[in-house]
Formats: sequence, structure tokens, C-alpha cells
Amino acid sequence: MDYLEKKRKDDLIVNPTPRCACILVLDTSGSMAGDPIEELNNGLMNFLSEVREDELAQYSVELGIVAAGGGVREALPLTPIHLIEAVNYFEAGGDTPLGEAVETALNMLERRKTEYKRTGVPYYQPWLVLISDGEPNDNWEETAARARNMSAARKLVSLPVGVSSADLDVLSRFSSRPAKRLSGLKFREFFEWLSASMARVSSSASTTAQINLPPTDGWDSI
Amino acid sequence: MRPTLSQTIARMVNPFFIGKTARKERKPAAAYPAGFKRVTEVFDRLGQPKILGDPIAKPGGEGCVYFLKDKPDILVKIYHPRKLEGHRAEYREKIEAMIGIKDEFRDFPVCWPLLSVFDQEKNWIGYAMQRGIGAPMRYLAHAVAYRKHFPYLDRTLLLEYLVSFVRNILFLQEKGVFIGDYNMLNFLCDTRSDKVTMIDCDSYQIEIEGKRYPCPVGSPDLTPVEHHDKDFRTVAHTKQSEAFSLAIIIFECLMLGRHPYDVVGGDDPVTNLRRANFPYKRGNTGVPKGPWRNIWTHMPLRIRKLFIETFTEGVNDPEKRVSAETWLAELKIYHADMRAGKYDKNINPLKKLVKVTPKAEPKGIEEDETENYVD
Repeated sequence: MDYLEKKRKDDLIVNPTPRCACILVLDTSGSMAGDPIEELNNGLMNFLSEVREDELAQYSVELGIVAAGGGVREALPLTPIHLIEAVNYFEAGGDTPLGEAVETALNMLERRKTEYKRTGVPYYQPWLVLISDGEPNDNWEETAARARNMSAARKLVSLPVGVSSADLDVLSRFSSRPAKRLSGLKFREFFEWLSASMARVSSSASTTAQINLPPTDGWDSI
Repeated sequence: MRPTLSQTIARMVNPFFIGKTARKERKPAAAYPAGFKRVTEVFDRLGQPKILGDPIAKPGGEGCVYFLKDKPDILVKIYHPRKLEGHRAEYREKIEAMIGIKDEFRDFPVCWPLLSVFDQEKNWIGYAMQRGIGAPMRYLAHAVAYRKHFPYLDRTLLLEYLVSFVRNILFLQEKGVFIGDYNMLNFLCDTRSDKVTMIDCDSYQIEIEGKRYPCPVGSPDLTPVEHHDKDFRTVAHTKQSEAFSLAIIIFECLMLGRHPYDVVGGDDPVTNLRRANFPYKRGNTGVPKGPWRNIWTHMPLRIRKLFIETFTEGVNDPEKRVSAETWLAELKIYHADMRAGKYDKNINPLKKLVKVTPKAEPKGIEEDETENYVD
């Protein structure tokens, strides 16, 4: 077992904080090259430092990242933020296998949920954030339906976010609520909203109650 | 791709270094959520202006709390305009009813509303209160965070905070005040003493001149079953209903943030609570792996019995829940015994057998767990 893997397992035993798992599926295909990927990386880094500054969220929020660009890569297994030491810089290139990437993400979530149950660690509804500027070019319908069903059954907060000319109709099929479009390249505002949402969830006294999230009008557009 | 030497060095200096060049990001001057308008000036009833300082924290769900400029021991809570819309009179009535009895709480560690505040158009927008000192009890009842916020914490100090806390609860109950929404972020533990200060009191259930002002919020993980799935605005909290929430708070403090109904192979804490599935009960299974069983068995048998009573039979029978008076008496005994060296003071007690003198335990207890845990 490698070092991080051991720490991830041990944390569930020594840190009984209820968990909020958040998996980012990032489209890192060729079309994201240039400013979009740059802003995405910056926004992500801000997100990490914001959550890390939050006294409770850093022990509660677990971040996982799947990169979809010319193949699917599990860039970060679900790891409590206070244990994350570094995240790689994402480069853009290749096509957009979003279906496979979401499938990978959902499987990561299932595995982690099994670990939560085995250690008696309570958890909030996990989050799946799908960020893409295009549409999937692999077999995605079945996976989309899986995510959508989980979202409808309140087993998952599925949040597809379209960048520039992304096909929102396709992205919306990954959730029971409509996809949102990022206004311009407001990745920073989006990730600030995400960290504020994570802070609200993790300071909630209940793992079962509904949480009122902050308004999204800082980053989305009609 | 292997990192270059310069990248390795940069990462050692800054763990968030994520690539070719260190990406220094300037933060916007005011990182407030969209739509939030910072208030800089409020007025008292006579129209005298008061200048506000910075918010003490990011705005919460209900409103934003500011320092009063030049008087940092006074805070002002301003409700969000959208919260007051259509409910201004209702909010104002409750807060002003609380202000009406403020003298009863003057020398007591509770940040009671003291004064209404208005905007320039004389609309009621919030209230002023004393500032509380300390770190939230949530950081104390937290297996990781306590090390930073309470670096000198041991179980004697933990018990001292709990004694202060239960005293506060009893004092409030005497005045007909019930907390209702128990939230460990709203109990501040002074890190230089054993004082516990209650903040965010505007949600408390109060009764004044026969009129009950309810506590409109709550969370099922800390609430007795008879209040589950109900609109909290219609719930009447009593000593018995509060006793259940109180026991959970005491348990979480003694168990470093572990909820009494965290069960291995069980369901979520709320479902376990409803089923009275308390894993530490003798004969029950599902205690999570880790230090919890050891901490539990180091507690005096009497304390353990109080928890078992409240968390099993007490779930559906409010009469079986241990009262705040009993908790106060028993925690004081526990504290005195611990100071006398009878119990391990370590936050994580050593796993050796600590001999317990038989006369220390009351007669008539059937359970055979008189010894502490041996690994």
C-alpha cells in the first residue's frame, strides 16, 4: 500500500468527521487548450487553498479528480483535503471520453462509500461535478442515465457545467437538474462557489437534511 | 512525467505549487458571495448612526455579523433582506421580546440581544449583542482539530467545559429558555479558562408572558425522535426533549466528535438513532474501529450507564432520558475522581488496566464491565 493510500484509509479510523465526497470530472481535451485550461487549473488551486483554510471543511471534504482528455486518468483518488499535498497541473490534449470518465468517477465514489460504511463514518450526499466545453465522443448514454438516476434518488448531487459552446442538452442528461453554463471563463468564481457550498455542507449538523446552497449567479449565465 | 529539480523545490516551499511557474493569484478585495451587500452604517431607535467594522466571518444563511467600529466587544447581526421580506415584524417581535428580558442574562455567559438596529429609513434590520470569546465546541469535539485549537486539552479540562456547559443549560431552562437547535459551532469554549459562552441565541425557544416563540430550526442528528419530520416552528421543546440533545453533545465531547449513532455496517446516524441502535450497549456490535472502544471503556460505569439509558430506552421514552441536573452532578463526580487520579486524563487513554476500587461504583449495577479496557 502506498503512502497516500495508507493515509486515506487511516483517516477514516482516526477522524470521525462526516464526509462530503466531491469528484471533479474535468474535460482536458484538446479544445480546452490555452486560456480555458489555464483558468481551470488556477480555479482548482484556489479551491484547494480555500477549503484548506476552512477549519471544518478541510477534514470533511474529500476531493477526487478524473481527467478526460485523450484517455481517462484517475488524477486523484478521493482524499480528505487536509491530506492533499499537491495536485498536478492539467494539460489539454486529445478527445473527450466523458462517458468513461464519469463511469470511473461513479465507481470511485462507490468504492469510497463502501469504505465509509465499513468504518462507520457518516457521509453527506456525494457530489459529482462535470466540467466540459464539448460533448462526449464515447459511449456515454448508459453512464449518464446511471448518474441521472442517482441524482433523482438523492444519492448524488450531480452538477454538469458547460464551458463556452458546450452542448448543455447532452450535459444535462448526466443529472436530474439542468446543466449550467459557465459565464465566460469564470472558473475562479465557480470554484469559490463550490468551496462555499462545501463549507456549508460540512458545517451542517445533519448528514440527512437539505442544505441551502449559495446562489450561483456569480458564475453562471443564461 | 518526473518533476524537475526546480519544481521539486518549489513544491517543498509551497505545497500548492502546481506547475511550470508558481501561479500567484490575487484575491478580489472583497470575497463576498454574489448578491451580498455589505452594510457599513446602522442606526439606533433614536436615529443615532453607528459605524460598522468588518464582518466577523463570511455571511451565514440568515444574515451577517459585524464588529461595531471602535467597540470590538459589541457585535451587530444584520439579517439578509431576503430573510426579512414579509417576516420583518415576526423577527422583530421575537428579538424585542428577548431584549425586554436582557437584564436577567446580564452576568451570564450568553450573547443575548441587547438593542435593535435600524437602517436609514428606520426599518428594523437586526440587533446588537456582546461578543463571545473562545473556540467553538465543535473544534473541541473533533479528533483532529482539537490539537490546533486546544493544544493543552486533557480529560479534566474537557469535563470542566462540560460542567460549565450543563450549568448554562440549567440556567437557561430555569428562565424558560430552550436552545432547541443544538449546534456545537454556537458554544464557545474560552481557551484560557473553563468558561463556555452561548452565541447565536436568536433561534432559542423562549416564553414570555405566556407567549411561546419557537426555535424554527434544528437537525435530526441531534434531535429526539418525537421532533423528527416535524416543522420545527410547531415544536415545543421541553426538559425531556433537550435531555436527548444534551446527551449527544456530552457524548461527542467525550468521544472526540464521534456521534453516538455512528455504527459500522449500520445506516446513517439518523436511521440508527430512530432504531435506538447504540453500538456501545453491552451485547451490541458495530462500534467503529479506532480509539473509540478504548475511550468508552475508560469512562466510569455510571457515566456509561447514563448514556446507555438515554440512547436506548430513552429514544422512545422521554422519561428515561437523563436530566441536565443528573448530568451536572455525575460529571462533577467524574471530574473530582479524575483529579484524584482514578481515571486516565489523557485524551486517548492508555490501554493499560486501571484498577478501579470496588466501593467507587454504586451497588446494584448488574453490568460486569467494572474493569477498564485491556487491549
